[in-house]
Amino acid sequence: MKLNTNMQVNRVTDEIWEISLSEKPGMLVPARIYATKGILQAMDSGVFDQVTNVACLPGIRRYALCMPDGHWGYGFPIGGVAAFDVQDGVISPGGVGYDINCGMRLIRTDLTLADVQPYLEKLMTELFLKVPAGVGASGFVRLSGEEFRRVMTHGAKWCVERGYGWHRDLVRMEEGGCIQGADPSIVTNHAIQRGINQLGTLGSGNHYLEVQVVSNERIFDPVTAAALGITGHEQIVVMVHCGSRGFGHQVASDYLKIFEKAMRRYGITVKDQQLACAPFRSPEGQEYFSAMNCAANTAFANRQVITHQIREAFAAVFGRSAEALGMELVYDVAHNIAKVERYAEGELVVHRKGATRAFGPGSQELPEVFRQTGQPVICGGSMETGSYLLVGTDQAVRDTFGSTMHGAGRTMSRAQAKRTVSGAQLQQQMKQRGILVKAVSMSGLAEEAGLAYKDISEVVESVDRAGITKKVAELRPIGNIKG
Amino acid sequence: MAWTFRFLEEIALADIAFEAEGESVEEVFFGATQALLESMANPATVSGGWERAIERTDVDPSALLFDWLSEVVYWKDAAGVVFQEAPLTLMREGDVWLLRARLIGAPVDQQTQELHADVKGVTKHLYELKQTGGRWKVRVVLDV
Repeated sequence: MKLNTNMQVNRVTDEIWEISLSEKPGMLVPARIYATKGILQAMDSGVFDQVTNVACLPGIRRYALCMPDGHWGYGFPIGGVAAFDVQDGVISPGGVGYDINCGMRLIRTDLTLADVQPYLEKLMTELFLKVPAGVGASGFVRLSGEEFRRVMTHGAKWCVERGYGWHRDLVRMEEGGCIQGADPSIVTNHAIQRGINQLGTLGSGNHYLEVQVVSNERIFDPVTAAALGITGHEQIVVMVHCGSRGFGHQVASDYLKIFEKAMRRYGITVKDQQLACAPFRSPEGQEYFSAMNCAANTAFANRQVITHQIREAFAAVFGRSAEALGMELVYDVAHNIAKVERYAEGELVVHRKGATRAFGPGSQELPEVFRQTGQPVICGGSMETGSYLLVGTDQAVRDTFGSTMHGAGRTMSRAQAKRTVSGAQLQQQMKQRGILVKAVSMSGLAEEAGLAYKDISEVVESVDRAGITKKVAELRPIGNIKG
Repeated sequence: MAWTFRFLEEIALADIAFEAEGESVEEVFFGATQALLESMANPATVSGGWERAIERTDVDPSALLFDWLSEVVYWKDAAGVVFQEAPLTLMREGDVWLLRARLIGAPVDQQTQELHADVKGVTKHLYELKQTGGRWKVRVVLDV
């Protein structure tokens, strides 16, 4: 089998591949990649190099993992999962990423395609106005420094207190939209200044807001779908992909610098500067963890304010309240985060970078509402091909530290995508296929063309067959907003 | 001035990578700064009006360039601006490198400016400033 690496990659099952300790000096655990043979063969060389670099980090347990949407990142691969012992292991900002708690949110509605189609242009225009996107965009929420610090500690709860959401939204978010242990006192003024005006904004890159349709024939598990509010019959749902914006980016930048110095003090060497890390129990490790939680809570709040704006936009266009339109949250899940979780090995700091938590029905961590179904997992595809709703499994908890994929994963560079198609051309082609796109940047739009991504269906099949998540429904785009 | 830059396609698929080079460290600073400004918006479409003077020192020119580029990204969000140009001078006084720069730009305007990527951060992934064959080069990966 021809792969983009010289390392020996061994088949464990048709969906699990292993690189043993002997393939790179310093590896403390084997690396495992979840992928079909076809996806593995297409993976870029960076994935193999980076996942084995991660396997060398102090205190890593069991395996360094990469999901099938994995691709070359910086330090950790995108799609990377690694768990470190809380006592002798490390925490690494590079294992979380710059966009702390970048994540996905799915909102259901009682509307159907027939209801929305005649008003789609009006709806997308309204959404484009209400949810700022693109470089340097600021939101409508004006915060004092004190109030912003409350956002950092209370996350989505702050939004609900201020009327930007419903109390019942909170139970349908990872950690209830508010992670404990956030300490604003250790966040720099630079980070605050960079993010204070950005609550309720999408950003750019691969971030988006998408109006989608769920058809009956694309529901794979009708019982679970119904339990999550997905009824099919050309039902309209709304997906949001974004994170902690400039605030989280600055927290990551600040601590990468601190960790570079800390590594020297703790005698830690890494194979890539971007893997800078510190012992989890060290003062630096604990401070980053607290600051990261501030950013994670801000990301929950960001997606909650965006949800409020989406509900307002739908209410304005359809002349009925969001509640009357059945706009309940299905779930909100992080895919760039580090969390302390308990596994067979004990308490571990699980890093997920472009990977989603996927707890099964048996997990005591889940609220009652998901004890039958398992935790919803939202995977965004390219804006041309569609996305998926899945649920976590108890097998994921056993095999992958309760983790799975997060999206399609890129196969083409941004520059190559732009050379292949222009933004205006793509917008026109998508319109002809029934997908209305509003974009701030036409070059940014071209960079996100479907041809730049893996086939999400094959990626989803990998994790479904491996048993670490189960397919519930496919979601087909009809309208997209990009920064 | 003989600085140049080019965007790299073969690394960091989801992000933006570029290589800048020049005959001096100062020229590399020019090239890398220009590549960063163009990653965020077309400078030719950005008017002036917003300006910030920035002065920084470091004994390590590589660290100084990294901090400077990070500072540009910071102001993009903190002031909600994109940039037209960033004239700069780089001097060496003993062991210390001194950067004096002016960031010139305007508040983001989606109607008049050609906007590109919202850069999240300057990464240390494959980051390297070095002198090869008489020319200075730096490779930078931006998280977008």
